[in-house]
Amino acid sequence: NSSCQLSSLPLQMLFYANGIYYIFYFSATLAMIVYKSQVFSYPDNFLAPDLIWLFIMALLEVLRLYLGSKGNLTEEEAPLGLSLAITGGSVILSLYFLVWQTYVLKADVIINAILLCTYGLESILKVIAIAAFVS
Amino acid sequence: VAKLCVCDLLVAQCDVNCCCDPDCSADEFSLFTTCSVPVVTGDSRLCSQEAAVYSLDVEANPPERIFQLIDQVNPSIFCIHATNYKEALSFSSPEMPTAENFDQLLKQFGSAAFSAEPASWDMNTDAQNLSDANETYRYEYGVPVQTEDAFLRLPSPVVSSWCSDANPAGFLVNQATKCTRSLSVEKCDDIPAVSMLFYINSSILAVNITVQSIVVQSLNGTRTLLNDSDVLRLPMILDELCINIVLGVSYHITYTDAGEIIEAAAAFVLGAINKEALSIQQSFEVSFTQVNTTPVPLSGNPGYVVGLPIRAGFRPRGYPFPVEINANKHGQLTILRSTSNQDCLAAQGARAPILFGYNMISGCQLRITAATKCQPLTQTLLDLLKGQSFPEYVASFGNSQAQDVLDWVPITHLHTPEQRTYNTFQSSCQIPVSLEIEVKWTKYGSLVNPQARIVNVTATITTTTLKQLPSGRERTIPVTSSVVFTDISSPAEPGYKAWPTINVKLPFDFFFPFV
Repeated sequence: NSSCQLSSLPLQMLFYANGIYYIFYFSATLAMIVYKSQVFSYPDNFLAPDLIWLFIMALLEVLRLYLGSKGNLTEEEAPLGLSLAITGGSVILSLYFLVWQTYVLKADVIINAILLCTYGLESILKVIAIAAFVS
Repeated sequence: VAKLCVCDLLVAQCDVNCCCDPDCSADEFSLFTTCSVPVVTGDSRLCSQEAAVYSLDVEANPPERIFQLIDQVNPSIFCIHATNYKEALSFSSPEMPTAENFDQLLKQFGSAAFSAEPASWDMNTDAQNLSDANETYRYEYGVPVQTEDAFLRLPSPVVSSWCSDANPAGFLVNQATKCTRSLSVEKCDDIPAVSMLFYINSSILAVNITVQSIVVQSLNGTRTLLNDSDVLRLPMILDELCINIVLGVSYHITYTDAGEIIEAAAAFVLGAINKEALSIQQSFEVSFTQVNTTPVPLSGNPGYVVGLPIRAGFRPRGYPFPVEINANKHGQLTILRSTSNQDCLAAQGARAPILFGYNMISGCQLRITAATKCQPLTQTLLDLLKGQSFPEYVASFGNSQAQDVLDWVPITHLHTPEQRTYNTFQSSCQIPVSLEIEVKWTKYGSLVNPQARIVNVTATITTTTLKQLPSGRERTIPVTSSVVFTDISSPAEPGYKAWPTINVKLPFDFFFPFV
């Protein structure tokens, strides 16, 4: 009986898929930064911000997925709301890697676009879940 | 991209097989066989870029050039989509200096190396300046003595004998120079180099140059020492003469053993010139003395320097233990100097100092008549050969101090009779006819910079028998004195490292239960 269970199954599946995809995204972006620093001229004062943002993004992602998953399973709106707010930050960071990075390769464009789509879908599902929990 | 052409080398002329050359006309294109540059693109790593493609259509008659502007796409997923770094793909053109950015550009590019962070560069130079300021007070040998604006100058002749004022005086380098300066009575107060002010005006860093003494030389050469040396005497014209012009300066600089100059004094010789004089000869000297020591002219530091006189002295008598060797100018080791008049008895007193490393031989002719007596002749000849005060000790190093008695080598005296006289009954008169001083020296110290050290000095007097002459006859005997320097340094022994040994030792408790 779905009325007893308010947790959103698609959202949970999406969280799981997002976690796996993010691991791939993080290693790919790190590997590409290393590749860019070898092939192109990449001075230290441009390399440092890119790496720092990547690690901050990883932290935010872990926090976001944990809070979101917890909120969805315990049917609480507070962690889910917090996760939604952190998603905003992650979107901005993903945009940074899509547009404002020092060197944007075609592969960067592809993986960031997928990540943004995932975030968008997640945000919609989170809003629906919060609405379901609140009411 | 359409305007770039790598093969267009000749200006206003058509380059052969260069399809992108704008100077070529259609007729010339028809003569080409291939296109040496088929494609002109930007950086191929970009995802999409413009490319100009040139090709020759050989089927057409006449062959014509085809030019196409296409978009070339890089298929790799690692192609550069965008960059936010302006120097990524091409060199950036430098900023044009304007009034606003001039100071910043000067700070960045104005020094010997371009700095990426101008602020940190300033901090480093400040620290360096502080440590340099302490270092400049310490002098090393040969470094020019610095004054407020430049160096202490010692005018010296360069190439010709005319004075050049650009010769700096080096620290601890005792120099004496003489040079000629052109001067006339009319212009004698215009030339700064003949006035006292020029030589004492500059101060050596923190030390003022004081006037030690002034000696006035008159036109006929007599010198008088002035009592008051505080008054600055500048050249002035008096009765058709120009007086108080500097004929000689002698600087005496006192230094400490830390390498600092603490005192500087100058002694002047002022003179006068008359209307006929066109030039004067000036002599300059600089000498360095260590503070709290009496200046003793060293003949080397520490080993003897070739050409400097050998230092010698006496041990004062009456002392049970040798305290000090008295070495002053009177106790120099000298040798008879040959004069143009070769008569020994007439040339009394002309002696030359023995210089280290210079073998010398000199002599004179002694005329003996029947009336010459043996004893006075022997004494005269000994005085002639040895000089008035023949020293007893010779310094083994060029800088041996008088207090270190062990640094002084005693002179060994040997007497060799020239002929053996078997007839001992007849009183034979032995007169010394030759003095040979043999100085044995050795190389001491490191192989790279060996110092000369005197080990042994032997003075050998050879005597000959004076046979009584019948009256009326006279004889001439040559009397010689010579100095020989012999190098007795032992050849260098190679020193090898010890062979490495295999250090095998059983531990002390190897035979444990039994020992």
